[in-house]
Parts: sequence; C-alpha cells; structure tokens
Amino acid sequence: MIDYLVSVLTEGSIFAIMALGLNIIWGWSGDFDLAFYGYVALGAYMTLVLTIGPATSPTTYILGLSLPFPIAVAIAVISSMLLALIVGAIALRHLRGIYFSIVTLGAVYVLYTFAGQFVPLFNGYNGLSGLFDPMGDFFNLDFTSYPFFYLGLCVVVLCVVLFLVTRLSGSRFGLALRSLREDERAAAAFGRGIYVMKLKAYVIGAGIGGLGGALFAGYLSAFNPSAWSPVETIVLYAAILVGGRGSNRGVVLGVAVMVMGLQEATRYLPEIANQPSFAPAFRLILTGVILVLFIRFRPQGLLPERRLRDKDPAGTGGTAVAAGNAVAGATLDTGAA
Amino acid sequence: MHEALLTLGFGLVTAAILSLSALAFTLEYSVTNVANLSHGEILTVGAYCAYLVQQHGGGVILSGLAAAAGGGLLALAVHNGVVDRFVRRGIGGLPTFIATLGVSLVIQNILVIIFGAANLGYTVPQGAPRTVGPFLWTDTEIQIMVSAVVITALLYVIIQHTRFGKSLRAVSQNRSLARVSGINANRVAALTWLLAGLIGGYAGFILAESVGTFSPYSGFSFFLITLTAAVAGGLGKAVGTLVGGIIVGIALEFFGGYLSASYNLAFAFAILSLVILVRPRGLFVGGRRSIFE
Amino acid sequence: MTALLEVQDLHKHFGGVQAVTACSFTAAEGQITGLIGPNGAGKSTAIDLISGFKVPDTGTVRFEGKEVQGKAPHVVSRMGLIRTFQSPREWPGLSVLENLILACFEPRRERFWRSLWGPSRAEKERANEQLIHARAVLDEFGLLHLRNERAGNLSGGQKRLLEFGRIRMAEPRLVILDEPMGGVNPVLGERMASAVLGFVKAGTSVVIVEHNLPFIERVTDQVVVMAEGRVIAEAPFDQLRGNQAVVDAYLGEMPTYDDADA
Repeated sequence: MIDYLVSVLTEGSIFAIMALGLNIIWGWSGDFDLAFYGYVALGAYMTLVLTIGPATSPTTYILGLSLPFPIAVAIAVISSMLLALIVGAIALRHLRGIYFSIVTLGAVYVLYTFAGQFVPLFNGYNGLSGLFDPMGDFFNLDFTSYPFFYLGLCVVVLCVVLFLVTRLSGSRFGLALRSLREDERAAAAFGRGIYVMKLKAYVIGAGIGGLGGALFAGYLSAFNPSAWSPVETIVLYAAILVGGRGSNRGVVLGVAVMVMGLQEATRYLPEIANQPSFAPAFRLILTGVILVLFIRFRPQGLLPERRLRDKDPAGTGGTAVAAGNAVAGATLDTGAA
Repeated sequence: MHEALLTLGFGLVTAAILSLSALAFTLEYSVTNVANLSHGEILTVGAYCAYLVQQHGGGVILSGLAAAAGGGLLALAVHNGVVDRFVRRGIGGLPTFIATLGVSLVIQNILVIIFGAANLGYTVPQGAPRTVGPFLWTDTEIQIMVSAVVITALLYVIIQHTRFGKSLRAVSQNRSLARVSGINANRVAALTWLLAGLIGGYAGFILAESVGTFSPYSGFSFFLITLTAAVAGGLGKAVGTLVGGIIVGIALEFFGGYLSASYNLAFAFAILSLVILVRPRGLFVGGRRSIFE
Repeated sequence: MTALLEVQDLHKHFGGVQAVTACSFTAAEGQITGLIGPNGAGKSTAIDLISGFKVPDTGTVRFEGKEVQGKAPHVVSRMGLIRTFQSPREWPGLSVLENLILACFEPRRERFWRSLWGPSRAEKERANEQLIHARAVLDEFGLLHLRNERAGNLSGGQKRLLEFGRIRMAEPRLVILDEPMGGVNPVLGERMASAVLGFVKAGTSVVIVEHNLPFIERVTDQVVVMAEGRVIAEAPFDQLRGNQAVVDAYLGEMPTYDDADA
C-alpha cells in the first residue's frame, strides 16, 4: 500500500513539473503547443543515453557516456531547450492559433517517428533501458529505501520549480507575457517584442518539460515510444484547464485531480471489467469528457489565475506596502471570478 | 518509367481516399470555422460499421452504406452535441478546437473498450490485378476510385446547383449575414456536418478496404495526413482541398516507394509545415502574410 | 515649432488595390494634428504604415528625424510613438490596474533573469511610484473604483478611457489615436476632448483620426485631409471650409455638423 502511494506521488510530482512548464507556454504566453510532450520525451531519452554505458549489439544508440545523473539531467534539459528553440523559432515567427498547433503537432510526429524508426538514434521501438536507481549508490540506498529517496528528490525539484514559476508569475516578465496572450497587437503597440518574448517563454517551458522528462526516465528506468505518444500532451492540457489556466497553484491541483485522482478512481476497474485495456481507456474517456465540460462551463478552472489587486480601500493612500514583485503596494489575491 | 507509372497508379488510389476525407473535413470547417480534430474518428467509426456489417454477411455495397451512415450520425452528434453549442455560446475557434480533441479522445477509447485496441483485419476479395492503360489496379481499387469520383461529382452538384448548396455557400461566407437573410444557419451547419460525416464514414470504409486492417487509432493517423491535404489546399476551400488531396496522396505514395512507408506521416507533416510557413492560407490562395497583416 | 513626425510619399498596395498613394504630411511637436477623410481614404492604412504594423512599398517616415518605416511595431513604440486602434484593445483578462502598469515598457525590469532574481530596492521604489501614478491617472479618468475589475468587463466608453489612461502612463513623445470617439456615448465627448488636450500638457503630441468633425474642430491645431489614398489638404480646420477639393471629397457633407458623427 505504502509502495503504491509512493509511486503515485512520485508520478504526480513529475507530471506537475511538466504541467508547470506547459503552463508558461499555454497559460501565460497563450500558444496551444502540441509538440510539448516531444520535449518531455527528448529530456527522458537524453538522460538515458547520457547515464547508461555504450551500446552493445544488438542495441544501438548514440552517446552512452555513463555520466552521473545530475549532469545528464542538466544536459537533457539543455537539449530540450535547443529543440524548442528550433521549433519555436520557425513556428512562432508567423503562425498563431490553429496553424501554430498544427505545425507543432507535425514537429512532434516527426520526432516520434524518428525515435521509433531510426534505430541508431535511441534504439528504435525497443527503446532504452538500464538506468537503475540513479544516485542510489552515491547515497548508499537499498531497494527498499530508494523509492522514498526518489520521491523526495521529485518533490524537492517540484518545490524549486514551483518557487521559481511563482516568482516569474508575479514579475513584470510574467505580466508582460500574459499581455501577449490577451492581445498581441496592443502588446506590440506598447513596446513588447512579441516574437522574442514568446520564444523565450517557449524555450523556458520546454526546458521545464525536459526536466520533468529526465525525472520520468529515472523513475521508469527505461523509455521507449510505447511509453509516450504525442497524444500525452492532451492529458497535461486537461490538468491545466481543470486546475486553472495560468495559475501555478491551479496547475498543481489540476495534476492532482486529473492524473493522481483519476488514476486512483479507476484503480480497481480492471477486475470489474475483466479487460486489461479497460482502465486506461476509461481514464482517457473521462479525461476527454472533463476537458470538454471545463472548456464549456468553467474555462477559468478550479483555482483561477490571480490578478494584481490594489487592496488599499481608498486607493489613494500614500504608504503602500511592498508585496507583489511587479508592483509594490498591491498584493496578489485571487481575482473575482 | 514503368515503375513510376505503377507508383502513380497506387498514388491515385491513396489520393481518392484522401480527397474524400479532406473534402469532408473542409465542409465541416467551412460552415463552423472549427477545425474538427475528431474528424479522424468519423473515418474510424465508418470502418467499424462496415466491419460489423461484413461480419454479419453483408456485401460491399451494404458495408459502404453502413459506413456512411455511421460516420454521418457521428458527425451530426459531434456537431449538435458539442461544436454547435460552443459556437453559439461565442466560444472561440481555438477553445472549440481543443474541445474536439477531447471528443476524439472519448470516441477512440470507447472503441478501444468495445472492440479492443488491436488491429482488426478487413479483408475483401480484391480480385486479380488488371492492367488499365499503364496502371495496375485490382477491382477493389477501381471501385474505390470510381466511387470517389462519383461522390465528388455529386457533392459538386449539391453545392453548386441545389437550394441547400446555395445556403451552405452563404453560411460559409458569412454566417451572421446568412442568418439575417433568412437562412436557418444552424440547420444548414448541422446538415453540412451530416453530409461531411456520410462522406467521411465512406472514406473510412474505403481506407479499411485499401489497407486491409484498422484499429481505433487508424482514423486519427489518417486524419493527420488529411489535415495536410486540407491545409495545403486552403482551409474551407473545396476545390483547393480536392487538388491538395490528390497532390499529397500521390506525393506520399512516391515518397513511401522510395524511402520507407513508416516515415509517411512525418513526411506529410514536413510538407504541411513547409506549406503553412510559406503560404499559411493554402497553396492556391493569397500569399504570405505577417501576423499583423 | 519643429516637425516631430514627417511622412513623405508613402505608397502601399494590396493586390491590385492602391490603398495609400503619395501620402505626405507632417505633425508638429506640441500640437494636435487631425487626420480626416471619408471611409476608405487610407487613413487606417497610413497609421499602420507609420506605426510599423504594415510595411510601406515605398516612402519614408521620419520620427524625430530618424527613419522608422519598415521597423517592427515594438521598435517604433520604444522610440516614443504609440498608437491606439479603431476598436479598443485592452488586455481583457488582466485587471484595469495591470493594464495601466503594463503600459510603461521597462526593458530592464521585464528581463527574465531580473524577474527570476526578484526586484532590487530601487525597483521596488519605482514600482511604488508607478502604482501611485496609476492611481492618480485612474482617478483623473474616473476609473479608480474599477481598478481591480477585469478590463474585459468594462463598457465601451470605459475601455476608451482606459486606453487614454494607458497613454498617460506611457507618456510617449507622440500618440496616434485611431477613432477614439468610435462607439462612445456623446456624453463622454467633453471628457475625451479634455483628455486629448491633457496629453499635450503632459508633453505628448497627438495625431488623431476621427470622423466626428466637431470634435476635430474643437481640439486640433492642424488638419490633414486624405481621400482615395492621398493627402488633398493640410491646413488649420477653419481654413478647410472653403477648400473645394475637401468639399468634393466629402460630397458636400462637410458643413453639416449635426450628422457628421453618424
């Protein structure tokens, strides 16, 4: 039971990290990016090829450098960001709305195809494996205590990411980014270089996605095309939408509901239905239904994005208290729905 | 030379299926301004309907009709149940686009629960390949192409020469203007989706016939190629879409012949990305525009 | 009196349609310049060309002596030329206060690393000043009680005022107002007029596109008249009435003020 709980929490933390990254791209900058899971996957693949040893026949893959886990994660994050820089530089230049979505969907399918078909890269459909208990030896952990350590690691990383994105969210950078989502032309008219800002947000978001992917690889200890598909991005979108687009706390809540909650709720279904694919399929049906219902009835999500509020009742008081990062004197509070 | 002509022959079969699917997609887009991401599932449901009829001893014609009916009903349900409600509430194109992605997820997985996720075989007696001019086609392939041409011609007549077609064109030009001039835009949109569903369901049937197997996911994969054809031809433009479908279908067959069929989807998207980046409004209309123009 | 904005011989065509032909005019520092003309005269296209939202085929735009034609909108904006749009373009999902705060473009404070690191003491002070300034501006436009409201929930007239408030916050050298009276209740007219005059007092010169001729007469120092893509007259408003070309362009509707704002 406790093992199960640990694994659910670990997975939840990892998905929360990914969703926080995607939230920067969709929640703030406003781009419906369907390539996102590609950056997660690249982070996972790169972590594996950097930490495991050289390829031995019949498997083939690039690198195989046996690097320590933290260094591998850092390089993996950078490679995700580089890929996002290339895709974003092309797609964000002129495209918005569904055209942007379609091109990013194309990009992720190209990546997926190459990961699956082009065997010299990441060993094709069989994928990579062999990353057992990263940093376990270093801290002298055995297999009973290791899952607790890894859960702790994921939670700590999640907290750090959450701290940083919360800081960004309240900053001028975050605020300016959200003005792009609200009205691009007005943002340009007031001096914001849209392309560069959107690209920054895209690369940062993808980097956080890559970080999530790297941790995911350590958790699964293997990665192959059947572990991910481009459609996986939808689950992250559903989590963001349910929690509250643009709101960091909301995104974490959304992951808790849509990933951990749904998993838990459908846990005993296989026995009932006597069919192995029933539970995951049922989960995806629920995900789809919830997605549609939230777009229709509660697009702002359960915990809506917070807006800057000036709490001084008169609004003219001379002594304002510094609190928010973007504007002193005004404190962040949940905006009225 | 001979080899190239043979490939062209196979390409024409793919092009026929692709054009029908893309035409249906473009019809859906033209009246609602929503890119329907659950379009692929119309094809999938069509294939499953045909499969069920075939399992119960139905012939080719009955299977085709069942596929069309299944696709039509599904499209109508998606329009009336989701898309129309969203459009009427003033929910924009992009959120509705995301919602149709959710619909696609739901339909795919309902099919997984009913039929399982594995590939099902769909075998029809193909007949011996016969030489038609420089090409080599089986009876089934000829049936696919002839039916596609007939359906396209029928569609042309409906759009150009019937009252319904006139309303359809009016709604696709400007929905609110059409409504002001006394057209029941919601009904026209619903009927258009029904029509698109009939065509899409049939496209799913001939796709299954041509490939020989299908699964709950095959419609979605084919939809991604459909998207290439439709966007290349110009979203919402019927003639452009038809040409786009034919070009992309043939290009895919040539590419698949020379490299590997597993890269087909990636290749289709490479074409698509190129087209969108160079001519976002389709190959045959307009030119390059910055986001502000 | 020096020319702040100099437009010389601008051309722009869309397909076969010549939207702007040989458009030349100047806007002087410290003045309010009106830009008028019948529908389809090319006024909006001219604004787009000046502010960088469209690229002219030929011609030059000089702002403070520097050529700006073909530069990106945000570059032109950072040089001190800000424009508004025909329909108000507030950031609807942000609060009224956020809309005002964001009108000030501050490259240093908006940098990613800077934002991650957190604000310095000087920046906190700056932010505080900005907040107090924003409150004063909101008070001036009668929006103070709405400062925490979602900007998208404001009425049409309030959105116009919010737009004016943003200009006051940004304090550009020149602002181009594109039909600020469009869709505004005439009751607000007086308030809008004094706001426009207030811009000049605050050091912002104004170019204003407007169909409401009484409004133009009331606030402008100089008027540029466009018709069919070209400038046909450039003079103070009261000298335009005798100008035959202007009267022809307006098909004689020029002197009838009563229905001019229709």
